[in-house]
Amino acid sequence: MESATSKAITLMTVALPTMFAVIGVFIFATKALHAAFPAPVEEDEDDDDEYEDDEDEK
Amino acid sequence: MEALIHQYPWLDELLMGFIGLSWKHVVMWAVGALLIYLAVKHDYEPTLLLPIGFGAVLANIPHSSAVSNAPGEQGFLIVLYNAGIANELFPVLIFIAIGAMCDFTPLIRRPSVMLFAAAAQFGIFATAIGATLVGFSFEHAASIGIIGAADGPTTIYVASRFAQELLGPLSVAAYCYMSLVPVIQPPVIRAITTESERKMKMGFEGEEPVSQTTKFLFPIMIVLIAGIVAPISVALIGSLMFGNLLKESGVVENLSNSAQNELANLVTLVLGITIGGTMSAERFLTFDVLLIMALGAVAFVFDTVGGVLFAKLLNLISPTKINPMIGACGISAFPMSGRVIAKMALKEDPTNFIIQHAIGVNVAGQVASVVAGGLVLALIPALAK
Repeated sequence: MESATSKAITLMTVALPTMFAVIGVFIFATKALHAAFPAPVEEDEDDDDEYEDDEDEK
Repeated sequence: MEALIHQYPWLDELLMGFIGLSWKHVVMWAVGALLIYLAVKHDYEPTLLLPIGFGAVLANIPHSSAVSNAPGEQGFLIVLYNAGIANELFPVLIFIAIGAMCDFTPLIRRPSVMLFAAAAQFGIFATAIGATLVGFSFEHAASIGIIGAADGPTTIYVASRFAQELLGPLSVAAYCYMSLVPVIQPPVIRAITTESERKMKMGFEGEEPVSQTTKFLFPIMIVLIAGIVAPISVALIGSLMFGNLLKESGVVENLSNSAQNELANLVTLVLGITIGGTMSAERFLTFDVLLIMALGAVAFVFDTVGGVLFAKLLNLISPTKINPMIGACGISAFPMSGRVIAKMALKEDPTNFIIQHAIGVNVAGQVASVVAGGLVLALIPALAK
């Protein structure tokens, strides 16, 4: 049982920091992707139109 | 009775269901009926608890043909189990459907919310440690901890690999507690936050619109990063992101709609009843199952605590203050957790609208739970040696 507990503690000490590291890479990559392909102004207006259409339907 | 059966052998065939009946079967009917009741009367995860409840009833009729394992006469629940659970196919198909339903725009707009989602996976590991302390083996304890991912398909995926005999109770615990998020999270959050923290307002500055190209490339990027770190997670995160790619590509609307509707409904149906079919009395009526149900609740509590405390920690070092309650939305129970926290904020202050932030964190929880599941999948075999 002690061995299982120590394995579970090792799991936490390895997996948690690794997860934060992976999430850190996700954050960095997502920011880079978002910056590389900014939304054109027209697209924003389209979104607004769609929203208005949805509101009308309601 | 035995003499009568000896004299009239056909009686055995007619009465075998009645003769084989025990109190354990009746208890399992009650468990099945309870799940059906919760689904129908209280709307707790009805799409899953209803089939699971009925599957449990089918599996606990003595000599039930639905779960017969006789060669050449395998019951349909056994056939479904071998076809979709033992080889992890159903959870993967469910992930395609979930991916097609997901909108990652809030996450792309503010990717830093993924940190809360990572912190909210703390329950997985705390529960795994707790499970070993009450006597579970490491593999079983890690599978129990995955309930803390608040993600049914991930739980089923991990359990089908490392804890097949616990699949039924693990799935039931995961789905029951996911539907109990409105009951579990608010008291825990109130216990670890102050009134002024719960009333904190959050702005929306710097939130630019997201281009369709970014939305399209996002799932591909996530798969590549997660796959390189933990190749074993590719099946899970790959199917989730494939579903999302179908949606964001904009050129296969029919496939995207099919994934969101027909595929989701069909796989949920067979997944639920097949899981119910694993809940035989001899497997379910054990002390271990009681422990699993208790540990499932512990996992959700630790998730909530982990997310909220991490948000409070960030508030100490970050100039931009956030409402620490949104840390609790980092679990994968989407969109229930986001809605619960937004409602709590409104209750504290009717002018405090944090729903957008809460939903953003909740979407991030979908990704983080799969990453956590992938890491656990990768580490269990290595540590179990």
